[in-house]
Amino acid sequence: MNEFLVKLAGILEAEAVKDADDLKAFPQWDSLAVLSVIAMLDSDYGVNLHASDFQQVTTAADLWNLVQSKKRS
Amino acid sequence: MNFKFCNKRISGVLAVVPANERSFVEEMKNYNFPEARSLKLKEVMGYDTHRMVQPNVCVSDLGVFALKNLFNRGLLKPEDIDALILVTQTPDYFMPPTSNVIQGKLNLKQDLLCLDISQGCAGYVIGLIQAFMLLEQDSVRKVVLLNADVLSRRTSPKDRNIYPLIGDAASVTVVERDPQESVIHASFKMDGVRHESLIIPAGGFKLPSTPDTAILVDVGDNNMRGQDHLCMDGSAVFNFVQVEVPQIIETVLASANATMDSVDWFLCHQPNRFMLEKLADKMKVPRSKMPSNVVGRFGNSGATTLPIAMAINLTEALKTGTQRACLAGFGVGLTWAAMLMQIGKLDFCDLIDYP
Repeated sequence: MNEFLVKLAGILEAEAVKDADDLKAFPQWDSLAVLSVIAMLDSDYGVNLHASDFQQVTTAADLWNLVQSKKRS
Repeated sequence: MNFKFCNKRISGVLAVVPANERSFVEEMKNYNFPEARSLKLKEVMGYDTHRMVQPNVCVSDLGVFALKNLFNRGLLKPEDIDALILVTQTPDYFMPPTSNVIQGKLNLKQDLLCLDISQGCAGYVIGLIQAFMLLEQDSVRKVVLLNADVLSRRTSPKDRNIYPLIGDAASVTVVERDPQESVIHASFKMDGVRHESLIIPAGGFKLPSTPDTAILVDVGDNNMRGQDHLCMDGSAVFNFVQVEVPQIIETVLASANATMDSVDWFLCHQPNRFMLEKLADKMKVPRSKMPSNVVGRFGNSGATTLPIAMAINLTEALKTGTQRACLAGFGVGLTWAAMLMQIGKLDFCDLIDYP
């Protein structure tokens, strides 16, 4: 998960992202960030998320758990 | 679905773009986003300039201009054209077909099949498939495939989701029999379940345009658009391309018993640079074999981005020799299609401005 958080921080242009951080509280969280996250998850984790999937996501840990559940299914 | 064609070829390609150039940076003030984030978008997606028609320019205007250019330069004789296929999402009228309008404006012969096809970003490959099928007839010796769209006229200038990438353009591709033996493979799929991923909701018979459908509304993403305007579900389209396009390319290569390495160029429809670079990486194709420089210069004009990619990257290679190219188009419908063929030597492969 550490590597995942580092990648999120890169997209959000933040120094660090912690697992309890609210993603939507980052000033850089917008449609471009969402698309960048979708692209990162596709290329690095083989998971395809839709923008609407992010409605059920608040924290970085939520997103990580969603990715893990999609990987298993 | 897989198709196979024998002894057909492209003999020339002409792309036409409006001279009117717009810049992303100048248009940023129209968007409801912080400037820094818009600049970030520009950097990631590869947006810069795009070409748009002046108000009231129609598909028939671009098509007539393109064909007259070829007639005047002696590269195409009007009387040699046996079929005129127009692929467009933005016809002059619901009726008659715009291909007939163009036939009339150019006084083309009556022994001519005029055919409009409603297709978008996959429309170059779909149009070629139709052209090759017509060439099976003895009486059809030369087909003009005209791709043209003026989507800027149906795009909201306050929609950062789509306006920065849209462009207008037309292209003429002359298709005829190949005097040498050759085989062309094509594969395509369609999925109407996802037809709302790319849609102009109003303006047809389902939802006629009214003053209400023209009103710009923020649907929650800081972008303003009306129902008269092109609406794209960006992340759905991104996933569609990353999932389906590598598979359809694999399918067409397999049906031709060809390897990835044997392909000189992967000439894809050009949605934006970001999506194409991700696609190349996913397919493990060197980015240098998949040009992605159309949108940042001319915008995404739908099907015509593919001939534009040829005209700005491969003119010399295609005029002096032969290249093995895998074409791929993907978009509205949803439709995705790939084609493996030898292209060249072409009689012409140019890009010109529409004044």
